Amino acid sequence: MVISVKNLSKEYSVFQKETGLSGNLKSLFNRKYETVKAVDDISFEIEEGELVGFIGPNGAGKTTTLKCLSGVLYPSSGKTEILGFNPNERKKAFLKQIGLVMGQKNQLWWDLPAVDTFILQKEIYEISDSRYNKTLGDLLDLLDAKDIIKIPVKKLSLGQRMKMEIVTSLLHNPKILFLDEPTIGLDVVMQQKLREFIKEYNNKYQSTILLTSHYMNDVEELCKRVIVINHGKILYDGVLSNLVHEYSPYKNIRITFKDNVEPNKFTKFGEVEKYAYPQLELFIKRDEVSSAVSKILSDYEVEDINIEDPEIEDVIRKVFGGE
Amino acid sequence: MKKYFWVAKNTWEETLTYRFNFLMWRIRTVVLLLSVYFLWHSVIPEGSRLFGYTQNMMLTYILLTSITNAFVISTRTHEIGDEINSGDLSNFLIKPINYFLYWFWKDIGDKAMNIVFSIAELTILFFILRPPVFIQTDFTFLSLFCISIFLAIVLYFFVNILLGMIGFWSPEVWAPRFIFSIILGFFAGNYFPLDILPNTVFKIFEALPFSYLIYFPIKIYLGQIGLPEILNGFLLMVLWIGIFFIFVQVVWRKGLKAYTAQGR
Amino acid sequence: MKKYLKLWYMYSIYTSQVGLQSRFGAGLFLIGKFLRFGIFLFFFYVLSAKVDEIAGYTFWQMIFIFSTFNLVDIASQLLLREVYRFRGYVVTGSLDYFLIRPISPIFRFLFGGADILDFPMFITSAILVIISLFHVENVSVLGIIAYFSLVSNALLIALAFHIFVLAMGILTTEVDNTLWLYRDLLQMGRIPTDLYTQPIRALITFAMPVGIMITFPAKALFGTLSPFLILLSFGVGFGFLIMSYLFWQFSLRRYSSASS
Repeated sequence: MVISVKNLSKEYSVFQKETGLSGNLKSLFNRKYETVKAVDDISFEIEEGELVGFIGPNGAGKTTTLKCLSGVLYPSSGKTEILGFNPNERKKAFLKQIGLVMGQKNQLWWDLPAVDTFILQKEIYEISDSRYNKTLGDLLDLLDAKDIIKIPVKKLSLGQRMKMEIVTSLLHNPKILFLDEPTIGLDVVMQQKLREFIKEYNNKYQSTILLTSHYMNDVEELCKRVIVINHGKILYDGVLSNLVHEYSPYKNIRITFKDNVEPNKFTKFGEVEKYAYPQLELFIKRDEVSSAVSKILSDYEVEDINIEDPEIEDVIRKVFGGE
Repeated sequence: MKKYFWVAKNTWEETLTYRFNFLMWRIRTVVLLLSVYFLWHSVIPEGSRLFGYTQNMMLTYILLTSITNAFVISTRTHEIGDEINSGDLSNFLIKPINYFLYWFWKDIGDKAMNIVFSIAELTILFFILRPPVFIQTDFTFLSLFCISIFLAIVLYFFVNILLGMIGFWSPEVWAPRFIFSIILGFFAGNYFPLDILPNTVFKIFEALPFSYLIYFPIKIYLGQIGLPEILNGFLLMVLWIGIFFIFVQVVWRKGLKAYTAQGR
Repeated sequence: MKKYLKLWYMYSIYTSQVGLQSRFGAGLFLIGKFLRFGIFLFFFYVLSAKVDEIAGYTFWQMIFIFSTFNLVDIASQLLLREVYRFRGYVVTGSLDYFLIRPISPIFRFLFGGADILDFPMFITSAILVIISLFHVENVSVLGIIAYFSLVSNALLIALAFHIFVLAMGILTTEVDNTLWLYRDLLQMGRIPTDLYTQPIRALITFAMPVGIMITFPAKALFGTLSPFLILLSFGVGFGFLIMSYLFWQFSLRRYSSASS
């Protein structure tokens, strides 16, 4: 176990603005603060080498959790232990073993080539020459980014910049990697490349990766285990496929018929989503799928039949919508 | 005309939104004023006279630079350079609005706020420091003071526009401003009345337009310049305004061509 | 320690590279600073033609104080320029990256970008300090030692203020105004603080010890500062430094990152 979080809470006091001139004057002297619980009593543990996805809508508390884990924020209460360290103590030995990548945030020297930032990083993390050269070579290979490290960062595209950000955060081979919305704002091709990189990196170095994202594709493709957070509380923690089973006990059945059929006749099997000749879509309960399908196949002339789990995004929407 | 009034009003309200920044800016100007004030306070002890100034005349001059600055120098036009560089200027070019008038009224909104603060500060300083001041009671000098302030506002406005248009040719719009503000503080007479300088230096200063922005109006208030010289000064100011006006027109036309060429 | 020196060197090189990318602007800023410096000297020169002493200070003593002010002001700008960029880090959230580095974040924010552009000004101030030193009468070796220790003490107080500014920045995201207020209050030290009457003198003694930073070192050199006040100066310097460091640590605990 490399990460253990017990009853972690983080509260912010947010200054409440009052409107109007008198409100403004009043707030100069007597400010009203409201306490917001960004993270509310959460606990979980993560084993070495795991790739865990945090999902939840904006402001759910994902990023706050990551920042508490990396020691950037001090928790209001609760205990976090990472590799045996308390992150807030900011021990050098701890900091050298973690890495953080935040989409849309910049750690590169804007006016200088990325390689300058890398060299600085080498000094800060006290990386030996041989290890630096090897890691840098590996990372640039994996990311296919050898030819852009000498171009001033301000002249790079967003995707290229993200690659450089990632290299910066990984140069010291962190054991634990926090990725906060790493694919945000990137185009689809680039997103896909990045996902492949994360997967490969995880395999190659056996590092533990925690990832937040609101692109469900990221999580679906990368993470076996997900932690679903909303309003600072954990709604679900477990294997992704089980989440689908738990929150969506139905399957999607799509049937293409030879002849026109009467859609009302299918309501006894499940919920009819839509019918437009020749295709019918229905939701059928998981345990009734096989009997229903064989009945339909024997009663009608079917061209084609498709049985699918519902789209993960629909399930997640349901999780957040259904509270 | 009404739309320009709204420009001024919006600027006033904009300042209110960023009131903390504005307040700090005012505190900074007071701090600088205090340094100059106390230096002169010590240089000319009570009852003595130096460079032709008694203590109360000199301290009145220094305190009046605050209000004169609020009227003449306070401006928002430093945003013009950024506006050109960011390409936001295009939004104005397609609107039925005179760009110069727009900025003039924006300045009026800004000046109004600065004037209110300057008066408040001077009142507070008056109660704390109990400075010996000279109150001008002659109506002629007071009205001539007002005219000189008005002319100074117009003159400085065109200078500012010209500085802002540097943005057409260079992304470095702040460095020239920085140098200019240093030169202005000195040449306009913000730290001391210019006539304490050796006569030859003073003559050079007098020939430049800067001295008419601060020094000249305050000297009129103090009643230390005769009527013929005042009229002579007004004439020179109008002449400078004319020169800068033409200059602004020419540069603006050239600038717009450079602007399209850059395609920003 | 060696690592930090090397890092400081690298940060300074990088910042200079960036700064020199816009040579035109950099050159103009440099000219502007020299201009301001020259104008003040010229002003003193004009005054000296008519007045022998100002509130008991000779002209060379006034110039010595003026150049001491410049020395302290420029030295803190030269070394601590990074603080001026701190607000950017806070509002964009890049601050988070510095907090997870295995180096002291406060070192990074204070010294991570020395400004080479201030160096010519620094040398000029130092030269003027030396020139005016030779024109001040009755200077003892002890006075010179006291002067340099008190100037170092002034730099410590300046450091403390910059730490305070950083902490304020973390708590309120407001950096520039506090910084400029500090700079302007310090500018009141261009002239001896004895020239100010109450209650202004109280302001620049208690709110910010401008007197201790600028006038006291000069007075120690002139031999007009009592040993008690010298000791008090060091006490104040030390106290400011500890207080601001504690405030910095407090601010880190209250830090609530940009995303919230």
